[in-house]
Amino acid sequence: MQFKHTLRPLTACATLVASVVLLTSSAEAADKIAIKAGRILTQAGTEIENGVIVIENGRIQAVGQDVEIPWDAEVVDASELVAFPGFVEAHASRGMDRSNESVDVTPFLNVRDSIDPVNFYFEDALRSGITTINVQQGANTVIGAQGLVVKPYGMTIEEMLVRPDAGLKIAARPKGGKSRATQAQALRRTFGDLKRYLDGLVQDKKDGNDKARREALYQGRDLDSEEAKGTRPLTSSAVWTVEGLEAIPRGEIDEKQEPLLKLVEGRIPAWIHCQQPLDVELALEIASDNGFLHRTTLVLEAACFKAADRIAERGVPVVLLPSLIHRERDPITGEEIETFVPSVYEEKGIPYAFASAGSSAEALWFQAAFAVGQGLDRAAALNAVTTTPADMLRLGDRVGSLEPGKDGNVVLFSGDPLSITSFVEYVVLEGELVYDRSKDVRQQHLIEGVRPSNTAAATDEGQGDDGHGHK
Amino acid sequence: MIAAFFAWAPLALNAALPAPASHGGGTVAVRAGTIHLVESGSTLENGTILVRDGHIEAVGEGLSVPPGMRVVDYGSDAVIVPGFVAADSSYGSRAASARTAEPGLLAVDGFDPYTTYAWALSSGVTSAYIAPARGRLIAGQGAVVKLAGAVDNGRVVNARAALHGAISDEARRTPGYWEPPVPATVDVGLGVAQPQLPKTVTGAIVALRELLELARGGEGEDEYGPYAGPALMEVLRRGTPWRLGAQSEAEVRALIEFAPELKQPLVIDGALGAGDFAAELAAAGIDVIVDAPIRPNRSPRDFGKEQDAVWPRYDVAARMAAAGVRFAIATPDSVSVRDLLFAARSASRGGLAPHDALRAITLSPAEMLGVADRVGSLEPTKDADFVVMNGHPLSGGASVLATWVEGELVWDRESQASASSGASHTPTSVVIDVDSLHLGDGNVLSPGQVLLQDGHIVQVGSSVAVPPGARVVRGAAAMPGMIDALGHLGLEGSKKVPSTDFKMSRIIEPGDFADRRVAKSGVTTVALSPRGASKKGAPILAYKPAGQSLDSQIVDEPAALRFQWTQRDRRQSGNDVRAVLKKTVEYDKAWKAYEEALAKWTPPAPKPAEDKEDEEDEDEDEKDSDDGKKDDKKKKKKKKKKDIPAKPVTGAWVAFVSTDEIEESRMRLYVHDDDGEVAGSLRCAALTDGLIDIEGMRDERKVTLTGYGTRGEVSIEADVEDPEDDDEPRLLKGTVTVAGQSIEFEAEQTSTEYVIAKRPERRRPEPVKEEKVKGAPKKPRVDKSLEPMRHALEGKLAVLVAVERKDEILACVDAFEAAGIQPVLVGASDAHKVKDQLVGRVAGVLLSHQIVRTDVRTGTQWTNRYAELAGAGIPVAFHSAAEEGAAELPMVAAYAVSQGMSAAGAVKALTADAAKILAIEDRVGTIASGLDGDVLLLDGDPFDPATSVVRVWVNGEEVR
Repeated sequence: MQFKHTLRPLTACATLVASVVLLTSSAEAADKIAIKAGRILTQAGTEIENGVIVIENGRIQAVGQDVEIPWDAEVVDASELVAFPGFVEAHASRGMDRSNESVDVTPFLNVRDSIDPVNFYFEDALRSGITTINVQQGANTVIGAQGLVVKPYGMTIEEMLVRPDAGLKIAARPKGGKSRATQAQALRRTFGDLKRYLDGLVQDKKDGNDKARREALYQGRDLDSEEAKGTRPLTSSAVWTVEGLEAIPRGEIDEKQEPLLKLVEGRIPAWIHCQQPLDVELALEIASDNGFLHRTTLVLEAACFKAADRIAERGVPVVLLPSLIHRERDPITGEEIETFVPSVYEEKGIPYAFASAGSSAEALWFQAAFAVGQGLDRAAALNAVTTTPADMLRLGDRVGSLEPGKDGNVVLFSGDPLSITSFVEYVVLEGELVYDRSKDVRQQHLIEGVRPSNTAAATDEGQGDDGHGHK
Repeated sequence: MIAAFFAWAPLALNAALPAPASHGGGTVAVRAGTIHLVESGSTLENGTILVRDGHIEAVGEGLSVPPGMRVVDYGSDAVIVPGFVAADSSYGSRAASARTAEPGLLAVDGFDPYTTYAWALSSGVTSAYIAPARGRLIAGQGAVVKLAGAVDNGRVVNARAALHGAISDEARRTPGYWEPPVPATVDVGLGVAQPQLPKTVTGAIVALRELLELARGGEGEDEYGPYAGPALMEVLRRGTPWRLGAQSEAEVRALIEFAPELKQPLVIDGALGAGDFAAELAAAGIDVIVDAPIRPNRSPRDFGKEQDAVWPRYDVAARMAAAGVRFAIATPDSVSVRDLLFAARSASRGGLAPHDALRAITLSPAEMLGVADRVGSLEPTKDADFVVMNGHPLSGGASVLATWVEGELVWDRESQASASSGASHTPTSVVIDVDSLHLGDGNVLSPGQVLLQDGHIVQVGSSVAVPPGARVVRGAAAMPGMIDALGHLGLEGSKKVPSTDFKMSRIIEPGDFADRRVAKSGVTTVALSPRGASKKGAPILAYKPAGQSLDSQIVDEPAALRFQWTQRDRRQSGNDVRAVLKKTVEYDKAWKAYEEALAKWTPPAPKPAEDKEDEEDEDEDEKDSDDGKKDDKKKKKKKKKKDIPAKPVTGAWVAFVSTDEIEESRMRLYVHDDDGEVAGSLRCAALTDGLIDIEGMRDERKVTLTGYGTRGEVSIEADVEDPEDDDEPRLLKGTVTVAGQSIEFEAEQTSTEYVIAKRPERRRPEPVKEEKVKGAPKKPRVDKSLEPMRHALEGKLAVLVAVERKDEILACVDAFEAAGIQPVLVGASDAHKVKDQLVGRVAGVLLSHQIVRTDVRTGTQWTNRYAELAGAGIPVAFHSAAEEGAAELPMVAAYAVSQGMSAAGAVKALTADAAKILAIEDRVGTIASGLDGDVLLLDGDPFDPATSVVRVWVNGEEVR
């Protein structure tokens, strides 16, 4: 196995940011790279023995057994490893400096301002083979911030970014201090207020009052671009409409309301967090009353499986948070009832994706492996951590499987991706090696208890005084 | 702008309404002895409710059940009422809403339809009002929900049942809130709390007026926020009732005066002070929800000392009923809906009629809350929500047996009971409630009640406790189960006479059909006797033919012994019995003497354990007193003991041994030395894998130990060596042998302690030998055939003697008297002739079946022998001397009654006296607490020609 080309910058990096596995991008990534893998799990219906993956300019060029390796490609021999497209995290509230905001309704916030590229979380994500992450605000909110889809690698948000406008986080479970009724009221009011605001804007325009325009100018907002000039009428699937909205230039709409308008227009998705089955009812009501049901994904805790019939009726995909097992005691018979949640959704034909918990100990590979252990079909479990979440993020053409034209994201496992004894050996993101287990000093320290020779104890920040590795 | 908002608002709000009911629901026919329909005030006797797809299809008496429909019959004792509608519940939010008026806050948003509200269902509450919030002038809109049933409509019956608010204390005491300064600086303090409206009743009415103004399109947005107006408009448009809390007279009066302005349906909630305004309320058409002043499971308050503790009034509901006000009874919001029934019962203290109280927790609240089209009464097309109870719901002690919602059984006591078996087992209880309760001992309670629980009679009286879920059975009369004082039921024709120590219980078995028929005729206990008796007597077993298990079948074993006095050769009569009696007296004497001697004898006190050695010696003395051989050894040992410490091997030892495979392997030996018996564990990688048990002997200093490891037997032979210096450890030198290889070792003692958790003894415990103490009295030999007779002497066992002529009777009684036993005479044809000589000398008489004896000389004069003996004070009992013929015993007794015996005497003879004669009166024979639950329900007075046994309970279980 050779990774000579990329190893040089790696070592340089390792000395710079000692013990941090995140590797800065090399000055020039390999234009062409061919990975010869012992086994390729494409997640596109085929499994290839002794195949080759050719990545060119960050995109997969070809996958197969009889693929011709371009003469100028750097060849990576991973014939003992298993190539996998990488896990897709449909929803995670990690990697930010804080995941929750105390103000109730904050559609104008963006996790872009909160994501910390050197957060350990992203390092951990690579270590567990996660290559795409939808970062969304925490659930202790009414309407939270806008999310981003990122890859877990890069020193700036721009480097990490996969897709902006990943949607708004909405909580159907009550925010701390609220009852379920007041949470429902706050959600309904938010959209009521939007409607009233837009009506007022139209009325002001008719009355010749240009206060909104002056405010936009004062704030220095863009009023001249194509995007800022026109607002579409609310026609698509919105239940309510605002007469004369098309007369309002986009740029004049208050920044605080604009993301909500985008949601109602169906231009950005919604991620609605539900804790109890009754929250599902509210989530579906809010989404359908305001026309964004088709862009809604429910983020569900285990107990919500009871509302699966309602979800199936509306055809909404779901993200299943750990734990995947729901236990309760029947209050009449006293019998303990245990439900393996994914099988309920599988049975009802609801698209579902798994999500990691707040801890990397419950990363996606574990969720999928656990589900297989509980009797879920292996293919279904793998889809729930690759192609299904990719489709939920509307990134089905870019991630989730190893197919020509998709992003050159390959995770090389030492064995089966769902095996507890397998390690992620290498991660290639868009044709670039970003993780190498032999350089993962944290993991070595953890597993082997030995501090790597090229790291100095003095620079070992955050590890505390743990000299036992030497003794 | 408001207009635009208004145009939009209903769209969003409509979506919160339940989808049209599309639930399946059950299809079933349910029957019960009494069905209260509530709607028309009518009550059905033995009615049927036909339920199709969750709705009532028909209800009436004598309805024919469509073919294929499942039928559930709760029996004639059960009472069915509509599912209770809780006009208030604790399932809503109890927090105060954010503003003085939040009419848009919907309680239904906080309702979880996915929960099983078992607690409410177990008390018959099937629908409940939920409040949006508390403690506000206008808190929001309350809803009516089902507490069970299909979730596809969210279990919501009415999402906007009422605009919920209060002008009472709770709303006027809302604490103020602080608004944090934005931006906060060190100079700006938190400030003072914002006062919350309103503070007085007057203020509350003014605020209501302002809100009404706002709702009708007026001003007030500054005060009440932008959302209150549109939501209130919607409330007015729908005509939603205003449900306002008011407690004191002043508050109630203020609302009555405000009502004409409101021009909306008004419901006064709480209404403790409404009693004086009943007429005004009726005239104004105002509905009232009366909060019952109950505080279940809490300590009473000090009225007049505690804040907001006012004297409770129980008459409010009764006064509303008298004035014709529509009212509901509710639990206060701090009390669980589980106590709704108790709340309604408490209103009867104020004089409310039971049917009014029932309406106040079913149809009236349903009407007020706009759900009477679906719940509240048992009418066709309504939801099939009903409760099965064991009595009228308003009668004290009646409890819920089962709860049905939309034609589905959602709770029943039996499944609950089976679920909680173990920790808090709820036994099935039966209360038998009769006009005359014959206790068996001659006493009659009129009326009388018996509580059977867990197989026993728990309570007897004119009124007993009715535990939750108890079945209440009513009837004309009841008496104890009858006893066949001598029968053969179960012998299956056998004529063998077993020995006195034979266990008759070996021939009976539970579950026989004929046995149940005997029990159903009223004979619940049979004294099972072999046909005939041997010289030494025959055992008699008292058992219950209808018992459910062998254990519950046996009453007493042996209950009696049976002898034959009269012999065919009359000269031989009584000889066998006399012989047995003689032996018995001797046997008993021997035992008595032993017991007396034992009581006098003082065992030698054990010497105080001053010195361990001494104690050991004492032991040795006792053990080896007759074993001279060991004496020498003992002395030797005593000598050596000075040299050898008491337990030289006890503790941990460590050595290093090397074998061919492993060098320098650490051997750890951990043993306990118990006077030469050494046992413990060994661990040594060279000898065996893992830890093995090892045991052996220590003879003075020589120790031999063996154990079995993975490489075969491990044996150790070694000597203990004391160190020269006390600081040095003791040594164990010797050889260890494994797999034919002997290795020398030298182990150091690292500890002299052996402290491990006590292991269970692996060896079989030695049988406890009776301690033989010098000088102790000697126990007589146990004679199994005579043992029962000893019990007879103590009066614990009956002795039945078949005897005929009067000279024999007298001889027999004399013989028994000499022995100290009161016999039971069987047959005893001439007993009535010598009755005066028998009084007080016999335990009883089992007369032959010839009840009436005709005088031979006249042919017309006759005597009722039973009546005669019973009248003389000699206990008599009836017996069948047959197998299934026991079932005819009641007829035998009935004949005796018809021929001049008193009915009470016959009852006594069949129950209490029979039990006494057989010495089983501690289990059966009377109705008294603690005795077995064997009770007969009769449809008239016992032994009246028209009376028959209707139902039978044995061990608290009904025989079917």
